[in-house]
Amino acid sequence: MKRGVLLPLILSLVFLSPAPGQARQESLRFLHVNDFHGFAEPHRPAGASEPLGGIAYLAGIAERLRPEKPTLLLAAGDMLQGHNWANLTRGKGVVELMNAMKFDAMVVGNHEFDFGQEVLKKRLAEARFPVLGANVVGLPALRPYVVKTVGGLRVAVIGVVTPDTPVTTHPHNVAGLKFLPPEDTVRRFLKELREEADLFVVLSHQGLPADRLLAEKVPGIDVIVGGHSHTKIDTPVVVGNTIIVQAWEHAKALGVLDLIVQDGKVVWFNGYLKEIKPAFWTADRQVSKIVARYVREADARLRQVVGETLVDLDGDHVRQRETNLGDLVADVLKEAAGADLALINGGSIRAGISRGKVRLKELYDALPFDNYVVALRLTGQEVRQALEHGVSGLEENAGRFPQVSGLTFTYSRSAEAGDRVREVTIRGRPLDPQGHYLVATNDFLAAGGDGYSILAEALENPGESAGPEARLQGPRLAYSDPSRWLRDLVADYFKAHKKVAPPAGGRIKEVD
Amino acid sequence: MRVYVNDRPLELLPGMRVEHALLKAGLLAAIQGGQKVYDEWGHEVGLDGALTVDLKLYVR
Repeated sequence: MKRGVLLPLILSLVFLSPAPGQARQESLRFLHVNDFHGFAEPHRPAGASEPLGGIAYLAGIAERLRPEKPTLLLAAGDMLQGHNWANLTRGKGVVELMNAMKFDAMVVGNHEFDFGQEVLKKRLAEARFPVLGANVVGLPALRPYVVKTVGGLRVAVIGVVTPDTPVTTHPHNVAGLKFLPPEDTVRRFLKELREEADLFVVLSHQGLPADRLLAEKVPGIDVIVGGHSHTKIDTPVVVGNTIIVQAWEHAKALGVLDLIVQDGKVVWFNGYLKEIKPAFWTADRQVSKIVARYVREADARLRQVVGETLVDLDGDHVRQRETNLGDLVADVLKEAAGADLALINGGSIRAGISRGKVRLKELYDALPFDNYVVALRLTGQEVRQALEHGVSGLEENAGRFPQVSGLTFTYSRSAEAGDRVREVTIRGRPLDPQGHYLVATNDFLAAGGDGYSILAEALENPGESAGPEARLQGPRLAYSDPSRWLRDLVADYFKAHKKVAPPAGGRIKEVD
Repeated sequence: MRVYVNDRPLELLPGMRVEHALLKAGLLAAIQGGQKVYDEWGHEVGLDGALTVDLKLYVR
């Protein structure tokens, strides 16, 4: 598909050489990737009929397209964190393959902060390409922009990241940093760079809705190469005179945008996505080797011993009763969030751990889901309703069976579902239906997973309206840390305690 | 933060993703069944995509 900013000029400008005295046309190409999240190997996403992605295949296509015309290879953020392949080396493997692919620039994404600032600084030092963050104040290793000369054109690339970054990671990961409004930042650098560049590109990690607004409000941006919303923009979006592109996620596509520029104006463009289907493409050998080396590295890290358990940790009966592994995991959540109590679904635990040394792999097998810790302020009545839901699927061994910390409760199996919970105590005192409690859980349940609609609905119901006799203090959300998976917090628990021997029983009791 | 799935308003937490919105809307299973998620402009979005205030998503 071809669409032009100045459509009437298209055909004549594309195919004709400039006459003497006319301004010269320059042709250039942007190749772009966003939200890679460490998905290095081909994978089959939910609902897909075939494997997609594979960074070595993407690199192979990029290598083929690059020599065809003057090209910049850009990354629009969230490259380093996500998949275990990347997380186990804290993004080091990603930087190495990006170096090998000779990226020209990258903008920092919100998830780049998830390993903490010290790790990020190491990754930035290893990168042989500029990493941009014009609206981030307090991290000098991030550059606001870079000006690249490509095919006779001076191309300014200004990088901005979502100002929501502080609420999408743990506060200490962004301590001392400020995230300025991208609009103001871009406006400022467009002005500063007016004489230094012919073409202005914003490398943006703030999502398509925000990119559209940016294009509307700030004139003078030629191209926005975006990320964050994981949008598959098959044909470039045009807002005013700004072209917006984004290339989906997880290396499932390479974005290609070809431009012809005359007198500092884009007079023609053609943008499309090359979907990465390993069955049809050839992998880049150098990148393949890097991927394979870090697969081995990840495997080695998974074999590392993180601690020892002096008893078998029961992951087999988490859908039927309280188990010591359920207790341990719930304890970790409660401690992480500084909560009064914790409640998780037994179904979030998928395997037990035998007595003896515990390797990271055992923890990852036991807790395979990418869950993180959330804490909500709930009334006692809501806590009771959540427990009722938890024991409402006993007959089918449903994954909703609760594993808890900070409370004890009894239930009657023979009673009707919805009326099974009997005594609930917190710190030795009966649960106060009108009291309020800080409850740690995982993001899955907070979004209503396993049918925990009482938790999801709590978010619909602000604190002030939680009930006339149970006014909650402050907002419902008290804690959220999407930057760390629960399994990694449990690994930290083992590392800190060295040996664990959680007793079984005492929190959840079946009564007649 | 408020988002909309098939025009149904839903309240979600900052940092949550498209996947959480579908979970809350009870539509995650539809993706396993081959349906896809689109934004209000008709672009497909990934399950790990970030949510923004008043984002409109459609499953079909």
